Amino acid sequence: MSDVAISTEALAKFYPRIRAVDGLNLRVPRGSIYGFLGRNGAGKTTTIRMLMGLTRPSAGSFQVLDLRWPHDRLAILQRVAYVSERKLLFDSMTGRELLRFNRVFFSSWSDHATNTCVKRLDIPLDQPFKKLSRGNQTKLCLLMAAAQGAELLIIDEPTSGLDPIAQDELLKLLIDEFAGSGRTVFLSSHHLAELERVADWIGIIDQGKLLLEARLDDIRSSYRRVTASGNALPVSKDSRVISAVQFGSTCDYVLSDQSDRFADELRSQGATIVDVSPLNLSEIFLHLVRKEEPCTPGNVGATPAVSS
Amino acid sequence: MLVHVNSSSGVPLYLQIESQLKHAVASGALKQGDVLPPVRKLASELRINPNTVARAYQNLERDGVVRTAPGAGGGTFVADIVPGLLKSEKLRRLKPLAVNVAVEGVQLRLKADEILRLVQEALEELGEKP
Repeated sequence: MSDVAISTEALAKFYPRIRAVDGLNLRVPRGSIYGFLGRNGAGKTTTIRMLMGLTRPSAGSFQVLDLRWPHDRLAILQRVAYVSERKLLFDSMTGRELLRFNRVFFSSWSDHATNTCVKRLDIPLDQPFKKLSRGNQTKLCLLMAAAQGAELLIIDEPTSGLDPIAQDELLKLLIDEFAGSGRTVFLSSHHLAELERVADWIGIIDQGKLLLEARLDDIRSSYRRVTASGNALPVSKDSRVISAVQFGSTCDYVLSDQSDRFADELRSQGATIVDVSPLNLSEIFLHLVRKEEPCTPGNVGATPAVSS
Repeated sequence: MLVHVNSSSGVPLYLQIESQLKHAVASGALKQGDVLPPVRKLASELRINPNTVARAYQNLERDGVVRTAPGAGGGTFVADIVPGLLKSEKLRRLKPLAVNVAVEGVQLRLKADEILRLVQEALEELGEKP
């Protein structure tokens, strides 16, 4: 058993007019909660659909729990639970009926897990699925994923449309039932604040390409904003500089690494370092994704540095 | 609750947990032999990844702040004040922080006595007499 839950090699999906996923190399460590981040249309859902065998890759390959697609397709479906953004279940069936229906498909189904989970979750099991609130629909899907004994849980936009209480309950459920028990959770989202709490690995995708994949704590420790003031500050072509925005004699640099050394270099060129501060995930995301956009007249001052 | 984390501060969550627990021990809110919440319980309460809590606990154990006992009746406990640690070693551990305070202070153009007073106030808050 390798320590990777999902790995993709140059995975791609091309549609006639768009390269939805363009040479993706993901490595999702086993046991992690992996946050798959991107804007709308970045390629998140297409990637997930390929992983679950719902659409055929145009190029590249992938492994899920050391299983190869398409050869091991059924085994993948046994061991992976997928909760899509639009939950397509039989609308008129109740939770209890859905549980009984799903039960027969999975060899590792656990009634014990189902019962303990039902007790704690407080989901109405006798109402038709379509009558449930969105929060309860999501909970029911996660309940079935837990009952299925899935080793890997893939959730697309888990908290979209949920109120804050339901969101909070969902995060608790993910942590209690899935994380820390060796199971892997792969969730796509653009709700950065919630991901910042639960995820320990982050992958950022934009225009079908992976911009960054790293342990979240490492990202937090290495990314820094360096604010410097002085004359003739370099609008650097340094590969460590992700962005440099100048106002008057002050300049905000965002660095992916080695901010201390960079600050020392600026100092030796006569600049004053006003501040070196950490960035949160949302700021890092904005800087990384914006960098990929061409320079428009509106942000000429914000000349992006050349990427590494 | 014992620990609060701020996920958007940019400071790694495991460091936030470590420093808050160290603070709790230093200020006497946690006494030696006190039991810390199990990794999964704390993770669940804070809605954060259990791996993050585990990492903080591991680092605290490495630093001698907590110790873990395996098996039933086990768990993570606040360790006895490390008697074996030489004073020079304690000072060596603290020095980088002192350097940080000094550098940041000078950077902000604070005077030496103003910086020292800050440290003194922090000590007084912990009930340490000068």
